[in-house]
Amino acid sequence: MIELIPFIAAALIAFSIGSNDTSNAFGISIGSGALTFRKAIYLLGLLVLLGALLQGQKVMKTVGSDLVDLNLQILSLSLLTSALAILLSNWKKLPVSSHQAIIGSLVGSGAAFGAAVDSGTLINIVQSWLISPIGAFFFSILTYKTMEQTLSKLPMFEIERYLRKLLLIAGMIIAYNTGANELATALGPVVYYGLLTPIQAAIVGSFLIWLGAMMLSGRVIETVGKGITSLDAFSGFAAQFGAGVSVLIFTSMGMPVSTTYCIIGGIAGVGVLKGVGTVRTKLLRRILASWVSTPLSAFLVCYLVGKLILI
Amino acid sequence: MAGWLKKIFGGEKEKEVIKLFMEHLVTVRMACEVFKIAIEKNDKSLLAEVCELEKVGDTIRRDIALKLYEGAFLPMVRGSLYKLAEIIDEVLDMLEDTSVDYARLISELDPEIRELCVRVAKINLKMSEDLISAFEALGKEEDLKNKTIKLRVREREVDAIKHELHKKMIKKEIKNYWEGKILSDFIENLVKISDIIEDAGDIIQILNVSLR
Repeated sequence: MIELIPFIAAALIAFSIGSNDTSNAFGISIGSGALTFRKAIYLLGLLVLLGALLQGQKVMKTVGSDLVDLNLQILSLSLLTSALAILLSNWKKLPVSSHQAIIGSLVGSGAAFGAAVDSGTLINIVQSWLISPIGAFFFSILTYKTMEQTLSKLPMFEIERYLRKLLLIAGMIIAYNTGANELATALGPVVYYGLLTPIQAAIVGSFLIWLGAMMLSGRVIETVGKGITSLDAFSGFAAQFGAGVSVLIFTSMGMPVSTTYCIIGGIAGVGVLKGVGTVRTKLLRRILASWVSTPLSAFLVCYLVGKLILI
Repeated sequence: MAGWLKKIFGGEKEKEVIKLFMEHLVTVRMACEVFKIAIEKNDKSLLAEVCELEKVGDTIRRDIALKLYEGAFLPMVRGSLYKLAEIIDEVLDMLEDTSVDYARLISELDPEIRELCVRVAKINLKMSEDLISAFEALGKEEDLKNKTIKLRVREREVDAIKHELHKKMIKKEIKNYWEGKILSDFIENLVKISDIIEDAGDIIQILNVSLR
């Protein structure tokens, strides 16, 4: 019976990724009318499944096998804490990265129960969290500059036609990353503890993401669609594409990184290109604070609860 | 599957909107031409055709609005495109008002005033053609700037004629209030057409830079 706890917690995380992160992928395309909500959700489900099947294994191994020597207590506590943190942050609309909550919880639980935590893997993961948004920052600048030299020189209707397709492609990359990285991070511990095979995890996880997107993502997508497109199409695409490329690179290295942070890095890159004054430094500081506080609080909560259980 | 992909990547809705815009602009050109012939030949029977073309324009504007609402084009250009459709429609509205005023004129136009009015109508016709070619430039690798400059130059020509017309109208004796009122409205509306066409040209120029 206790084995159901990590399974239910991982399912909740996958469901909440679906309800919240779908907007990262197709918010703009739905807003632009290139895709209807329903088609976007089916496309998302398909791409998440593809991502999890084709490239999810490496991230699953890093999170589920390399980082901490798992046992049922560590697995249950860390996933339950992560799920609660993610649900709470969604409810309170706080910017919390699911990756950071999961990694922080795993390390905290591992430390509390005296399990071996691989410091090399942990350092690599933290470095990835730092480098991936910076990578997205530079990729988005490169993308924007390339577009200025090529696309910008075409007639207006041609630009519009290409942009519409490029935005969809960038969205598809992000959707693929959701399976290959986000879902893999949530399900890696469950897979490596032996509760599910990688293929079962990919199928069940993709279904849960699809379900979360279908049931709860409508309003978030609407907000992000309007929010990002009000930037302008060039910047929106450059930020999304830069983020997509950065996450893909880290996925191929097996590193669990946040798509949302990478998109923020991409937007900051385009903002800097247009003049540092356009970047809302107050907002960036808030995001940076969350970047530090999320894994630390997840670590502390799991460590303290773990110690309490041991008493 | 192929049909679905074509729907997503094919840009069919956009092609339909561009086609509707071309029809809208051609309707304006036709209305300008009919109006020019009507006052050139003093044939008031032709003016009803201008009113018919205005109704056609209304239908096209509604179709454009619907297509844009259904998701044609990226959201950031939809507003400007609809504004363009509205302004093109305003040209037709103004042509209709001017035609009604012309049909209601109580006395015949003085030959000098008529000649100036015909000149304005001819410039309006040329401007409507320039507007078509400016819109076409949004889809071709052509220099749009020259086309919008042309529109501005022609509008200034109309401004100059407007002053001449005012000078001549002041000297004209009128028999009653309504004769003067209708003549004044006719001239005011006639010279406003070029202003609105110029505004449409400005929107095209804004559209041209909106995605760069």
